[in-house]
Amino acid sequence: MKKILSIILVAVLAISLSNCKGFLDKEPTDSVVAENALATLEDAGVAVNGMYTLLKYYTVFGNYMIQMGDLRADLLVPSEGNYIVYSYDYDPSQNSYFTLWRNFYTTITRANAIIKNIDVLEVPADKQAIKDDYLGQAYAVRAFCYFNIAKLYGRPYKVDSGASLGAVLINEPVSPSEARIPRSSVADTYKQIETDLATALPLLSKSKNTGHFNYWAARFLQAKVALYKGDNETAYTASKDVINNGPYSLIPRSQYLASWAQVGNNESIFEGLVNLQSAIDGDNGFGGSFYYSMWFGYTNCGASIVPTKHWRDLFALTPNDIRGQWIAYDDPLSGEGKHTGEYWLKKFIGNTGFTAFLNNPRYMRLAEAYLIAAEAGMNSGKSDAASLLLEVAQRADPDVTSIAATMDNIDIQRQKELIGEGDRFFDLMRRNGTYVKNDPHNPFSTVLKWSDDRVMLPISADERIIYPELEQNPGYKQ
Amino acid sequence: MKKVLLLALAALISTMALAQNRVTGTVTAKEDGGPIPGVNVMVKGTRTGSFTDENGKYSINAPANATLVFSSVGYTTVEVPVGGKSVVNAVMASDAIGLDETIVVAYGTAKKGSYSGSAAVVKQDAIKDAPIVSFEQALAGKAAGVQAMSYSGQPGSEVEISVRGYGSFNASNKPLYVIDGVPATSGDWSTGNISTSAMNFLNPSDIESITILKDAAAASLYGSRASNGVVLITTKKGKEGDLVSTFKASVGVSYFSYKKHMEMVSDAENEALQKMSFRNYAEANPSAWSSYGSIDAYVDNRMAKYYPAFDYDKYIYKDWEKALFQRGISQNYEYSISGGNDKGKIYASVAYTDQHGVVKIDYLQRFTATVNGEVKLNKWLKLGGIMQYSWQYQDGHQDGWSSKDNPMFMWKAVFIDRWPYAYKATGDLFEETFSTRFNTINPVAQYKHQINDAKQNRTILKGWAELAFTDYLKLKTTLSSDWLYVHDKFGWLYGHPNFTAYGTGYASDKHRNINKVVSSTTLNFDKMFDVHHVSAMVGWEAEREKFNGLRLGKTDFSYLGATESVMGTTFDEGYAWSHEEGLLSMLGSASYDYDSKYYITGTFRRDGSSRLAPDTRWGNFWSVSGTWRFSKENFLDFPWLNDGKIRGSYGTSGTLPSDLFGYMSVYDYSQYGEEGASYPGNIANTDLTWEKNKNWNVGLDATIFDRYTFSVEYFNRKTTDLLLDASVASTTGFSSTLMNKGSMVNRGWELSASVDIIKQQDMNLTVGANWSRVHNEVLKLSTDDEAINADWFWWAKGYNFYQFYTRQYLGVNKSSETINGVKPGYPMYAEGSFYEKGEIVDQDVVLRDGTVVPDGSAMPYDGYNYAPARRQNASSMPIHGVRAMPRGFGGFNVDFRWKNLTFNMAWNYKYGHYICNSTQDEVANDGYRTFGQPISVKQRNPWTPSNSNSDVPMRIYDNNQGGYYNSSRMLVKGDFARLKNLSVSYTLPREFVQKFSIRNARVYLSGANLLTISKCEVDPEIQSDGYYNYGMPALRTWSLGLEISF
Repeated sequence: MKKILSIILVAVLAISLSNCKGFLDKEPTDSVVAENALATLEDAGVAVNGMYTLLKYYTVFGNYMIQMGDLRADLLVPSEGNYIVYSYDYDPSQNSYFTLWRNFYTTITRANAIIKNIDVLEVPADKQAIKDDYLGQAYAVRAFCYFNIAKLYGRPYKVDSGASLGAVLINEPVSPSEARIPRSSVADTYKQIETDLATALPLLSKSKNTGHFNYWAARFLQAKVALYKGDNETAYTASKDVINNGPYSLIPRSQYLASWAQVGNNESIFEGLVNLQSAIDGDNGFGGSFYYSMWFGYTNCGASIVPTKHWRDLFALTPNDIRGQWIAYDDPLSGEGKHTGEYWLKKFIGNTGFTAFLNNPRYMRLAEAYLIAAEAGMNSGKSDAASLLLEVAQRADPDVTSIAATMDNIDIQRQKELIGEGDRFFDLMRRNGTYVKNDPHNPFSTVLKWSDDRVMLPISADERIIYPELEQNPGYKQ
Repeated sequence: MKKVLLLALAALISTMALAQNRVTGTVTAKEDGGPIPGVNVMVKGTRTGSFTDENGKYSINAPANATLVFSSVGYTTVEVPVGGKSVVNAVMASDAIGLDETIVVAYGTAKKGSYSGSAAVVKQDAIKDAPIVSFEQALAGKAAGVQAMSYSGQPGSEVEISVRGYGSFNASNKPLYVIDGVPATSGDWSTGNISTSAMNFLNPSDIESITILKDAAAASLYGSRASNGVVLITTKKGKEGDLVSTFKASVGVSYFSYKKHMEMVSDAENEALQKMSFRNYAEANPSAWSSYGSIDAYVDNRMAKYYPAFDYDKYIYKDWEKALFQRGISQNYEYSISGGNDKGKIYASVAYTDQHGVVKIDYLQRFTATVNGEVKLNKWLKLGGIMQYSWQYQDGHQDGWSSKDNPMFMWKAVFIDRWPYAYKATGDLFEETFSTRFNTINPVAQYKHQINDAKQNRTILKGWAELAFTDYLKLKTTLSSDWLYVHDKFGWLYGHPNFTAYGTGYASDKHRNINKVVSSTTLNFDKMFDVHHVSAMVGWEAEREKFNGLRLGKTDFSYLGATESVMGTTFDEGYAWSHEEGLLSMLGSASYDYDSKYYITGTFRRDGSSRLAPDTRWGNFWSVSGTWRFSKENFLDFPWLNDGKIRGSYGTSGTLPSDLFGYMSVYDYSQYGEEGASYPGNIANTDLTWEKNKNWNVGLDATIFDRYTFSVEYFNRKTTDLLLDASVASTTGFSSTLMNKGSMVNRGWELSASVDIIKQQDMNLTVGANWSRVHNEVLKLSTDDEAINADWFWWAKGYNFYQFYTRQYLGVNKSSETINGVKPGYPMYAEGSFYEKGEIVDQDVVLRDGTVVPDGSAMPYDGYNYAPARRQNASSMPIHGVRAMPRGFGGFNVDFRWKNLTFNMAWNYKYGHYICNSTQDEVANDGYRTFGQPISVKQRNPWTPSNSNSDVPMRIYDNNQGGYYNSSRMLVKGDFARLKNLSVSYTLPREFVQKFSIRNARVYLSGANLLTISKCEVDPEIQSDGYYNYGMPALRTWSLGLEISF
């Protein structure tokens, strides 16, 4: 009996005490301890990809940025109800749009982590270019984020030469206490963007790298930043560099509509990569995606945002403009949607093999490089401004055989070409452009001047509770 | 090993019978002279024993010079010498209100009369007949200081239990569950849309008692997990005596219990109100109707869009309540056996429960089985084992969300009567989108092609051995494995009207395995030295929990009836993950009492947890407590004072972070395009530690005049180093990080009292009540000034943990003037700027009481500007005096027995708190959403120029001014008292049932949530944060049952 007893006791103790070593030392399996996560160049490549995941999300370019660009202005309108963006009804306590700010800073943090940690990686000489490219991408991504923050939260550069408040410049990983620094001016934010791009350009690869920054994307950004700043020479030179020396070409008219389904097509300089596993939102693109809001082709889709009558009317006299075919009509009797009698935008047809909700958001396209070059060229008296504009206009509409390089013509081409890409409002504000906001869908008709406070989004009131150093924009409740 | 088994069997089966004198007799009760059945009769100093039958009669073989020992739970043990007689009768006095009753406490048992900690005991009787799935549902109102709130009226949903307030921001506020001495997995482990509780695995009938440990003296032995109290569950063991088998069956019916829950206006009223909102909009915005020619044409056009006329030739209409809900029928069957002798005991049971919910798609099925046995191998070794197994299947709906899958939302916020149910000619369900806002289709059609279920398997195996070195020194070792398997399934199947969202159908499975192995060994010493009683315990415990999860989902099905992802063609998601955690502990306790008069106890535990960094993971927890049983003092020996004691305790406990690896800096991984992507996942904090609780407790318990029992307690629980997912500046790249920050206090009073109004042989009437008041206050965050806005709440120094924070609604502008931009008839909100005391104000500031601080003068105290403003110009602020935590809560019960009839009634109540009725944004939106939705009765009779005294704002389709949005308009008083349970039970006369060889037979009728006294616009029984968002309210259930023992 005693023998049995001792066996039981020994067994119990043995079971209990085995495993005692390391009993309390555990590690997660769904994430990696930070020290081990950037140990090799391959790891760094994975972390570089990590910089881009948020940008495509519905809280950034997957939806909100498009609303900020096109719904705030005169290209898109809610088909029913209202969007606070449409009527500039945002206030500091309506926080949903502040995720834009947050997500840009999260992306900056990811870029900063690479900039800080990649140096210690020792790589063989034949891999140095890859390492350089990774570092260059981190600088370029950071510049891209700062530019968007300045666009959203600062006044247009030219209204006050960048005197208004812009981004908070965070250029290395920071602790919660170090992070609470005041905003810099728009001018200083632009300076930082220029510095980052200047650092990035010599490091970046010139090869096509779909979904990632390369030399040409950084050059494009340089052009666009310069255009916003009024530096036409730089804008012209940089965009011409992309047009002439980059590996991109305008897609011919016959393939143009279908090219929107093509990942990394010839015209796309920089786009976000989505698929079912890395979608625009947590719901495979069904809930938050902007394309969901616009699309009408399925019973489940909303088309809660439709093109304005103003935009549709741009095609009234140009029946052969292929971009006019983006206007779909949901016929009350035979429409493919819900028979609502609504016009909707059928530009974003979904990546090949996926539904219309899974579109790679396009951040930079060659067509826009032409339009930037044309505008900067026109402003600085370059002789090829008209021919650059014609490339874009004629590609879409063979009836156009010549076009004058005027601001009006450039403006119309920009509207026709770039709808749904989130540029319009910023485009208007950077040059104090005029627009009419008076769509039958919505009686709201106010238009903003570039000096209006509502051009700048409010800083979240909640954020300012924990981060009082972050100044509120003028015109909003402190 | 074989030998052990044989011995065990022999012990269970054999009864030792030696040829001796036959002694018979009757045992009666001193109080009423009635016979006492089931009394254990032993020959002193031997193992010979017997039991009294139903008539109190026994027979036993005993030597003529022997002494018989009569013992029974609830009675004082009596010894009577045989003295050569053949008939020995005994009279037993009932144990004075169970003072010497043994209660289960941390790592052992204690006599209730001497226990110095604060513990509430809920006995089997209080839960046995209630129509419940889990015992947790029956705890509401039963114990002072303990709140129990169901998350949902869905069968089997989780119950939130809180003990003495709330101590944590971001770590757990739930108590630790300990089953038969071993910490157990608890909570809701399903990831699906259905709320479920891991505690559902226990059939309430298998529970002997529940002890809720409340103060440090009671709970500190559970160390780093004890801050929120400990729920000790003791399951039934075999009772000495004949093998008794019991069969119990019940059938019940449920439906909504609270009539006032979200009342809506009629269809006709709804239409008139919607018309009004379009008309008012058109009048204010001529551009809206100009293209229609006239306001009337505009209004007609909009109404036609959202309010199509009934078309009886084409469609069938149906009352959506009847389409979606039903009377839920439940059935419950149980069979158990129990018996044993001094060699061994056994209890075993099987039970089956089947419940159809009130929502037609809700269903719960549960099977449980348990075996609990022990054998005494010899005088120094006892072995025992417990096996508990349960299998549960729940089918249900998404609860508590504004979601198509939530029938409560569909019924209350989406459907109006004129939504067609089916096509007239074909009878097929109408599946077109009716309201474009919600893209919703007939939910009946949806639910047909939907899977939303959760399966739960749980097995607990425990083995223990107790080695008695002497009668006062014992070693007990326990090894336990608790295995919980949860499988959720969700599918919008091929054929689902909404299936296009996922191609042709979607099906996904989520599996989770949680295995907790606990080993503990304790050495117990317990000895009387004359009047000195000393006991001590030392031990250790190791706990390891392994978790693994698996998810798999596919879309695009080809076969209409396919339910499993194997039939799908497109991969959607599929991955597995796992983690492990460990806890090592050493523990000890010692107590001493002198002459059952003075008691002192100390406890100690040292815990090491894998959730913390190596340098900070070990911590010590301790308590000291004492009792003075003053009624034992000679100078207080009053005849009316049956018992009285004062007790006090002080000690520490903790709460570990919920996050297993929260202290580490990690990189998270996901995907970008087709490639992998990684990024920093958190801000590391290697200083992370547990929350520290310092508790003290004083109490007075007394019984007087043999009739009145009461208990008063005051407690103070201060928590420091609170685990807080503290918001950090967005420029860190994160929104929050886990820190130990700040402190909070919960202090309050607990009162409970009961009176035996009638105490007679055939009749008893006892009335009891308890009341608790918890004052909760955040003492500090990382600095005195810091404040955190956590959704609807405001965490800041001096405020309640559940202080509501939103825009302050000031009512309708009833004047004919526009006030600060608010037009007549529109809602006004407080402007809300904060001014510190002494600050020179930059505008006229209206104080809470209406007085005005003129521009340029100094603010008299810290406060907010209550000047009226438009919603857009209003700021959120803590709403004065409005919080989700009740000012008081408790229960009230009546127990009545008359002969064979018993009647019990249990009420619970809660008052002084508010509920956030978030549904108001949909159904009481002042007309700004005009999509053919139901409208709350609160919206009746809105402001118009001729009805300018209305408290309901002008109805207008314009979200610039109207609308609910988040504001104090959503906060409503939640005071209620509810008849939680009522049961009537009749035991059939023994003489009658014995004719059928039945030992005992009983029929009962039991009801839950029968009556609610409240003014609240939604069912007031919701979880502690007071947030209501279309959850299933509590159900009224009637259940009829029968129990027969053989």
